[in-house]
Amino acid sequence: MGSIQKPKVLLIGSITHAKAEWDALKDVADPIIVKSTNRSDFLAEAKSGTFDGVVAAFRSFTSMSITGQFDTEILSSIPTLKFLCQNGAGYDPINISDCTSAGVQVCNVPIIADDATSDTAIFLMLGALRMFNPCMATLRTGEFKGPAFKLGHDPRRKVLGILGMGGIGREVARKAGAFGMKVQYYNRKELSEEMAGGAKYVGFDELLGTSDILSLNLPLNANTRHIVSTAEFAKMKQDVVVVNTARGPVMDEAALVEALDSGKVRSAGLDVYEEEPKIHPGLIKNPNVILLPHVGTLTYETQKAMEVFTIENVRRAVEEGRLKGLVPEQAHMTKA
Amino acid sequence: MAKPTVLLLGEIDHAHKEWNALSSIAELIEPKARSREEFIQECKSGAFDKVSVAYRTFQSVAITGLIDEELVAILPTGLKFLAHNGAGYDQIDVHACTKHDIRVSNVPTAVDDATADVNMFLILGALRGFNTSMMALRNGHWKGSPPPPLGHDPQGKVLGILGMGGIGRNLMKKAAAFGMTTQYYNRSPLSEELSGGAKYVTFDELLATSDVLSLNLPLNKQTRHIISTKEFEKMKKGVVIVNTARGAVMDEDALVKALEKGTVWSCGLDVFEEEPKVHPGLVANPNVMLVPHMGTWTVETQTKMENWCIDNVRSAVEKGVLKSPVGEQKDL
Repeated sequence: MGSIQKPKVLLIGSITHAKAEWDALKDVADPIIVKSTNRSDFLAEAKSGTFDGVVAAFRSFTSMSITGQFDTEILSSIPTLKFLCQNGAGYDPINISDCTSAGVQVCNVPIIADDATSDTAIFLMLGALRMFNPCMATLRTGEFKGPAFKLGHDPRRKVLGILGMGGIGREVARKAGAFGMKVQYYNRKELSEEMAGGAKYVGFDELLGTSDILSLNLPLNANTRHIVSTAEFAKMKQDVVVVNTARGPVMDEAALVEALDSGKVRSAGLDVYEEEPKIHPGLIKNPNVILLPHVGTLTYETQKAMEVFTIENVRRAVEEGRLKGLVPEQAHMTKA
Repeated sequence: MAKPTVLLLGEIDHAHKEWNALSSIAELIEPKARSREEFIQECKSGAFDKVSVAYRTFQSVAITGLIDEELVAILPTGLKFLAHNGAGYDQIDVHACTKHDIRVSNVPTAVDDATADVNMFLILGALRGFNTSMMALRNGHWKGSPPPPLGHDPQGKVLGILGMGGIGRNLMKKAAAFGMTTQYYNRSPLSEELSGGAKYVTFDELLATSDVLSLNLPLNKQTRHIISTKEFEKMKKGVVIVNTARGAVMDEDALVKALEKGTVWSCGLDVFEEEPKVHPGLVANPNVMLVPHMGTWTVETQTKMENWCIDNVRSAVEKGVLKSPVGEQKDL
């Protein structure tokens, strides 16, 4: 062939919908797929030289079982890596400071996951507020409404508190507005009036103390682990409804169970858990809570769009040496 | 002059103060009867001869049975007003009431939000395929083995509303927030202002071009089984159907067959043909979302509905007219 060797790009995990787009990378790169299925095999595969020359990697959600936490040890095994493209909105399995130290830029998928995730949050919010879970369960056992039937509440005029006003939080706010809810939020920093869509910026304690419904929409990192725990439940309104579509560990699951059992928290709607796929038995036992197994973005349309976006970033990394959607912690890395 | 008598059929759960306040303008009585047979006997015994206004709940059908020609014929002739606590009034034969000079009211508007909310919950639940996941989780299988097929986003989908009354129009606004475009079929097209820009289409076009079909029409002789085998055949393959109207507007058995064939990808139902009985083909199907007629069951909406119905009673007693007569009697 005699031409310049194409840069290598690495698929860690799997691609389901955009296989054609991944294969099309062949015109600018040499795509390699990781064969290993666990961390020690991955490190061995790297040591054998298979990943030499890899400049960009596509990291799928399921690749956690392959590499575990994406940290210095993993990064050191692919010394030529410059660009890590995370196929997801959340990127907590990636140690960003380790990446920055190694000179590796990281992007996630902003915006595209906003609709599917906020739709899930609204579904859980309605389900919890309206107390649908107990009677949906009794219907399936042949009792229709059943003796455990409880009256729910309407969302109109209730105060929704959003913890984390990123793309997903803002979409939850907008959709909740269509149901007549009043929205307030706490965020690392206050947003412009326009961006906040009229939602009121409040302090963290005020959010806890005055919200009828609390929706967790913040990323998981060292600062946000267990940001909602026993002390926070104590500050919340009696009969509060809690919804979590962010990451399980932002909330202390055992403390939530206690707050549900005591009646402080009337109901909860959850898509994420501290130790997925394990769920606190106190939640399984509780008919009042509505539980989904982390399906926040699991639609054909969103999964395809996410894969296409991430593959485009891999292509952009190879062709232009830059990424779209760099994680906020690395904003400084693109400054000349 | 003696106070008029008002008959309570069913229970007041929330608006006790407002109900009791009626005692300053009327005698409030309740039946002793606990079955239709007993109720008919009690009527014939003359116990209700002084009654001029009745307030009835959906559940009171357990006492009186349907308010049909047989029952209306033995009601005291002095009973001139029947205030029904509910939006749907298919339990009442309005034609028979008109014949016997009884005016009927229902409760519109107060039900719109709560019903549209459960409707939207069911659209999301069915389109996203959430029920299979919820059941897998509760059975200890996390996402399920194998995990179910991926769901679909509402954004960009066409929502077809059959029946653009208060509930349908309320639903349209909420569905718009999820990026859905609405088209509708209705007895007659609405003004641009009322329809909010939704496209008016024929019944057949609604069936053929909607990605999600929502049933929001009243149950009456014309609408019983308006959705049946023939209609399923006209729908888009993979359509999602949601029903918060009345079970009998849709042929439940035909729906089960359409689900088995794959013509209907999923459905979300709050109502069933023979409540509390649910077709076993639905109960056994994890891919459908089923709620046991919870449409207006919130503290706030139940309170609003009772108050609205009590206002109808008060209006009948004080002014001799109902506040919200049913459509069929509006011109009387």
